[in-house]
Amino acid sequence: MNLPSRWISQLLLLAAWLAATIFFGWWFGSISWGLVFGLGLYLSITLHNVYILDRVLRRGKYIPLKMNGLWAELFADIERLKTKSRKRKKRYHNLLREVRESTGALNDAGIILNSDYEIQWFNRAATNLIGLDPKTDIGQRIDNFLRHPSLVEHLNKPKEDILTIPSSKNDQRQLAIQIIPYGKSQQLAIIRDVTVDVAMQRMRRDFVANASHELRSPLTVISGYLDMLSEDEALRKDWENPIREMGRQTERMQYVLSDLLELSKLESLAHDRSPEPVDVVSMLKIITGEFADKNNVAKITLEIDTDAFLLGSEADLYSLFYNLIHNAIRFTPVDGKVLCSWKIVKQSVEFEVEDSGIGIPEDMISRVTERFFRVDQGRSRDLGGTGLGLAIVKHVLQTHGGTLEIASEVGTGSTFRCIFPEEKIVIKEDRL
Amino acid sequence: MEVESLGQHISRSFNEDLESIRNSVLKMGGMVEEQFGCALKALTDADSELGLEVASNDEKINQMEVSIDEECSRVLATRSPAAGDLRLIIATIKTITDLERIGDEAEKIGSLAAKLAAVERPRTNYRELRNLARHVKDMIRNSLDAFARLDVQLALEVLKADKEVDLEYETIYRQSITFMMEDPRTISSIMDLTWTARALERIGDHTKNICEYVIFLAHGKDVRHSDLDNIREDFNLSNEKNVLPE
Repeated sequence: MNLPSRWISQLLLLAAWLAATIFFGWWFGSISWGLVFGLGLYLSITLHNVYILDRVLRRGKYIPLKMNGLWAELFADIERLKTKSRKRKKRYHNLLREVRESTGALNDAGIILNSDYEIQWFNRAATNLIGLDPKTDIGQRIDNFLRHPSLVEHLNKPKEDILTIPSSKNDQRQLAIQIIPYGKSQQLAIIRDVTVDVAMQRMRRDFVANASHELRSPLTVISGYLDMLSEDEALRKDWENPIREMGRQTERMQYVLSDLLELSKLESLAHDRSPEPVDVVSMLKIITGEFADKNNVAKITLEIDTDAFLLGSEADLYSLFYNLIHNAIRFTPVDGKVLCSWKIVKQSVEFEVEDSGIGIPEDMISRVTERFFRVDQGRSRDLGGTGLGLAIVKHVLQTHGGTLEIASEVGTGSTFRCIFPEEKIVIKEDRL
Repeated sequence: MEVESLGQHISRSFNEDLESIRNSVLKMGGMVEEQFGCALKALTDADSELGLEVASNDEKINQMEVSIDEECSRVLATRSPAAGDLRLIIATIKTITDLERIGDEAEKIGSLAAKLAAVERPRTNYRELRNLARHVKDMIRNSLDAFARLDVQLALEVLKADKEVDLEYETIYRQSITFMMEDPRTISSIMDLTWTARALERIGDHTKNICEYVIFLAHGKDVRHSDLDNIREDFNLSNEKNVLPE
């Protein structure tokens, strides 16, 4: 046995005390009564100390009695523990206050939600930005206050996308909301005021649209006169070539401008009104037919596995398919082949264009959908591209909820795959 | 008199039922707000397409009303709620009726906006009307917020705002009469304008009703048809009770 010294001294003290009572009992003639008296006294002192201990523990009061031995040390230990926990509590308190102050200083509203989207906590910016009230709003669902239908829909189908809605307090302000799940069924909603960003985006879009529009009319005049000139028989021979070249270049500029206009139209918000079921199969037949009739192009094959319709805008989907197929044709030598397919894969429907063309270097693949991006300066310009085709493809896919996958190997060919989600598919019963 | 918090029932599914009813009322409110916002946008931007879209979207709100109504009847029949729960159900049934009417008025504004988009508009682009619409929009928002928070103070503010909206409506009405007398050719478009103002004023009245149900829900006191000053006096005396229990 390895007893601490305080216990040894306590036991020794008890033994001495019992010996003393036995001695006194023997002195007065009854050892048993002496023992009863001695043990009773010991028991009452112990009980009294336990009572004090109880008070200390329950009410937190410490009465520094003049105690000695084991009890004094026990009380000292308790006091030490209490001081320690008080210090720790203070430290945590300070830490918590700092965290709160720093989150409060953020400009973005942060709201902690549980799995039912009930508000657990929010910072000061949330009060300023969306008018949450810490007194009444804890425990309520967030969409009780941000009632915009698209947010309600967003919560029902959780995604990590950023959603932009107009502020309910002021129409002019736009709020971007992102909901990030973390921990065990907790979620953090971050809300930012993106009014300025949205306005900038719109300005950029309007600028592109207006600029291309303004450039179009002078260009029409120029190309008109060039046409006239090229047919003029009185024209000097050495002017023929330059004028033909000028005509080609103005035509290219017109293509660029019309692509720019189409892009800016795609980007405008009012775009996705009332989608309609679009007959993709006949659209693909028309487009591939158009290319198949041309001379000097690669062989084009169309594989149709499904007659699913797609919910969307007919004109946009046309330019999506046209651009992809046109690209494939353009970068594929005449003896190569282009394979287009329309099929259902798992839940989604896919459009795929596979060519045996020149391919895209791997490090460029992520950039090919940028505007005016060229893998190799001048290579597609010679082939008559505007540099905007894939940007249009990307935007059409965005507005239709689809994704673009590109696989390519230099010299072997490229595969462009558009994947449309299940909810965009319409299967016409009467056509089956 | 205090509202029992909804999380106090032994039956967990009862709590969930009540909570879901309350959430769907606010969801419906959000749809109405959106509809109204679009109708206004159609009006100010002279966007006839948007106006017609608003007019055709009203069906969703009507369906929502029917489904919430059914849910309320189900809870009434199966749970026999009492006290605060009963008040919640009653207030809900009434609130959704008013919300649906607001939706109808928004629909009306949408189709009037489509009509007004076709005619020449005054240089001010209906400034008075837009002003009125902004006030009404705030009222809708505040009444729904008051419903979400059971905030009597906010509800009282809406009741007060309704008086101003009535005054503004009257001004527009008088102004319209003057315009029509000045130039009878504009009568038909000015009539449309007056109808729009009228719809806005009606929406104000409906939000006022919703706020009265909020007060009923929070305090069990029916304040319909009573004077605003009296109501305020009643609640200033018992201001402490506005605080919701945790």
